[in-house]
Amino acid sequence: MRSEGTRNDSSGRRSGVAEIFQQLINALLLGCTYTLIAIGFNLFFGALNVVHFSHGDVCILGAFMTLILYGLAKLLGLVTFLPGYVFVPLLILMAMVLTGLIGTFFERVVIRPFRYAPLLMVLVATVALGMVVRETVRLSFPHGSNPQIFPRILPQTSFQWEGVLIRLDSLIIFGTTIFLISMMFLFIKRTRIGAAIRAVSQDTEAAAMMGINIDRTVAVTFLIGSVLGAIAGILIGAYNNIIRFDMGLMGGVKGFSAAVVGGLGNVYGAIIGGLILGLVETFAAAFIPGGTPYTDVFAFLVVIFFLIFKPSGILGEKVYEKV
Amino acid sequence: MLPRTIGRAVILLAVEAFFFILFAAFMKTDETGKVIAFLLFFIGLGVMFKKWEKARLTLTGLFKELKIVAGAGFVAMLLTLPFIFQASPYLIHICVMAGLFAILALGLNFQLGSTNVVNFATAASYGIGAYASALLAVHFHISFWLGLLVGGSLASIFGLLLGIPCMKTKDYYLSLVTIAFGLIVYILLNNFSWTGGPNGIPNIPPPSLFGHSFKEPLSLFGYQLPFQSNYYYLIFLLVGGSLFVAHRLHHSRVGLTWNAIREDEIAARCHGIDVTWYKILAFCIDAFFGGVAGTVYSHYIGFISPENFAFIVSVVVVTMVILGGMDNVFGVIIGAILLTILPEKFRAFEDFRVLIYGLIVVTMLMFRPQGLFPQKMRIYKK
Repeated sequence: MRSEGTRNDSSGRRSGVAEIFQQLINALLLGCTYTLIAIGFNLFFGALNVVHFSHGDVCILGAFMTLILYGLAKLLGLVTFLPGYVFVPLLILMAMVLTGLIGTFFERVVIRPFRYAPLLMVLVATVALGMVVRETVRLSFPHGSNPQIFPRILPQTSFQWEGVLIRLDSLIIFGTTIFLISMMFLFIKRTRIGAAIRAVSQDTEAAAMMGINIDRTVAVTFLIGSVLGAIAGILIGAYNNIIRFDMGLMGGVKGFSAAVVGGLGNVYGAIIGGLILGLVETFAAAFIPGGTPYTDVFAFLVVIFFLIFKPSGILGEKVYEKV
Repeated sequence: MLPRTIGRAVILLAVEAFFFILFAAFMKTDETGKVIAFLLFFIGLGVMFKKWEKARLTLTGLFKELKIVAGAGFVAMLLTLPFIFQASPYLIHICVMAGLFAILALGLNFQLGSTNVVNFATAASYGIGAYASALLAVHFHISFWLGLLVGGSLASIFGLLLGIPCMKTKDYYLSLVTIAFGLIVYILLNNFSWTGGPNGIPNIPPPSLFGHSFKEPLSLFGYQLPFQSNYYYLIFLLVGGSLFVAHRLHHSRVGLTWNAIREDEIAARCHGIDVTWYKILAFCIDAFFGGVAGTVYSHYIGFISPENFAFIVSVVVVTMVILGGMDNVFGVIIGAILLTILPEKFRAFEDFRVLIYGLIVVTMLMFRPQGLFPQKMRIYKK
C-alpha cells in the first residue's frame, strides 16, 4: 500500500520545519487515495445501506486495467505513435471506464440479489467477492504473486522548494484528485441523476414512489464510485511504481476505515477521514522511532478509537435504531 | 422385541460401515478423474436420499431410535482410521488438519451461526494460541498440555479485548473491527523480534504423554502406526470435546439466548437479555477454541510463521461455517472436513484453491444460504 516512509529517507537531513512540510505533502497524497476509495464506500452506503467490502479490490483493478491496456498499446505500437499527453489521459480514461463497468457488474451480480436479505449475507458475499477478484488477478498474470511493475506514465521530475522535495507526479496526482472530487460534487448537486442519487440515499422507498428508477440510480452510484476508486488504484500504482494483487485488501479496509472515521454515508466525511488516516500513518512512520512497520497498526488503533467513542464518525449523524 | 432391535442395529451399523468404507476409499484415491467420479456418486446418493422419502424416514428413524449404537459405531470406525491409512501418513495428516479446522469452525459457529456476529478474526485467535504455547515451550520448556490451557486462555483474553470495542458497534462496523484486529495481529507477529518476525518459530517440541513422545510412531495391538496417529487420536478427543461443548451450549439457555440475539437484537434486549454479556461470551468461547486449535497446530507441525495466520484463514473458516450450515453443529463439522479434504484431492488445481473458496461462498449464499445442512427447529419435550 505504501512506500512513502522509505522514500524521503534518502534526501538527507533537513530542518525541522521542512521535514514537517515534507511529511505533510506525503500525508496529503496518501489522504487523497484514501479519500477516493472512501467516497465509493460512502456512495454505496448512502444508496443501498451496503458496505461493498471488495471495493478496495475493484480500485486496484483500475491499476491492473491500466497495466493491461498499456501492454496492449505497446503491442500495437501506440506508445510511440501518440504523444504522452494524449496517450496517458486516454489510457487512464479507458481504465476508469472499464473498472467502472466492472464495479457496476459486481453490483448487478453479487450485491443486488441480497438487497432484501440479512446484512450478514451481503457482507460475507462481498468479502468472498474480493477474494475472487484478487485471485483472478493473481492467476491471470505471469508470476502474479510477485509485485508487477507499473508503467511510468507520469513525468518523473522533481524540484526543491525551501528544502522540501516536491515531485511533479505528486502535484499531478493532487490536482487530479481535487478536480475529480469537485466534478463528482457538481454531478451530485447539479444533475438530475445526482438529485436521484441524493433522493435514494435519503429514503429509498419515497424515492421509488416519486418515480425514480432505483436500479438505475444504484447502478450509476456504483459506476461513479468504481471510477473514482480506479483513479485511486492508478494513483497508488503511479506513485509507488509497483502494484501487487493483494493491495486491494488493505486498500479496501483503509478506505472503509476512512469512511467510518469521517462518517459513513457522508461524502464530505470521506475527505476528512481520508486526510486523518493519511496524517496518522505518515506521521507515525516519520516521527515515531521504529514506527514504519507499524503504521497500519496506528491507523487501525485510531479507527477503533473512533468506533468506540464516536461510532457515527466526525460528520455522521447519530442513527437511532428502529424495531 | 429384542431380536428386532438387534436386527435394526445390525442394519444401522451396516449402513454406517458402507459409508465409512466409501469415505476411506475416497480418501485413498488420488487421481482427479476418480475423485470426480466419487463426488458425483456422493451427490447422486444425496439427491436419491432426498427424493426417496421412505428410505430417508426409515434411516433417520433408525438413527433416532438407536442413538447410542449409532454413535458408538461411528466412534469405533473413526478410531480404526489410522490402521486403515497405516501405509500413508499423508492421509492421516489430512484428517488431523480437518479436525483442527473443525474445532475452529465450531468456535466460529457460536458467533457467525448462533449470534450473527460476523467475526473475521479467527486467524488471530488461532495465531495467538499457537504463538503463546510455542514461545512458552521453546523458551521456558512448558509442556504442551499446560500450553493448551494457556494458549486457549490467552486467546480468550484477547477475544475479550476484541469484544469490548465490538460491543459498541454492529454489523459492518463490527466486521471492520475484527478485520482490523486480524490484520493488526498479523502485522505485529510479522514485525516483533521476539516472535521471530516473518521467519516464525522453528523447532517447537512435540508433546509427550506418559513418556511417549508424539514424534515417535505409535504401537497399538502389534501395529506400528505413523507418528501422525498420535495427533489423530488427540484431535479426535479434542473435536469430541468441542462437539460436546458446542452441542450442550446449543441446547442450553445460552444457545437459545444467542439465537434470540440473532433474530432481533432489540427485541432480545427488551426481553431482559444482557446482549453485551452474551456477545462477549461468544467472543471468548470462539477465541478459546481458536487458541486450542492453534496450540495443537504449532506443536504438530513444529514450525509456525505469520503466514499460517493470515486473513485468508479467517475467510476459509467462515466459508466452512456457511457451507456446512450455520448454527448446525454437525453441519459445520462436515463443512470443515469437506473444505479440508477436497482441496487436497484437487492438488492439481492448487493455485485455484482460494478462488474456489470465494466462488463457493458467493454461490452458496445466493442459492442455498442456509448451507448444506441447515439448522433444525428446536424441539422441546414436554
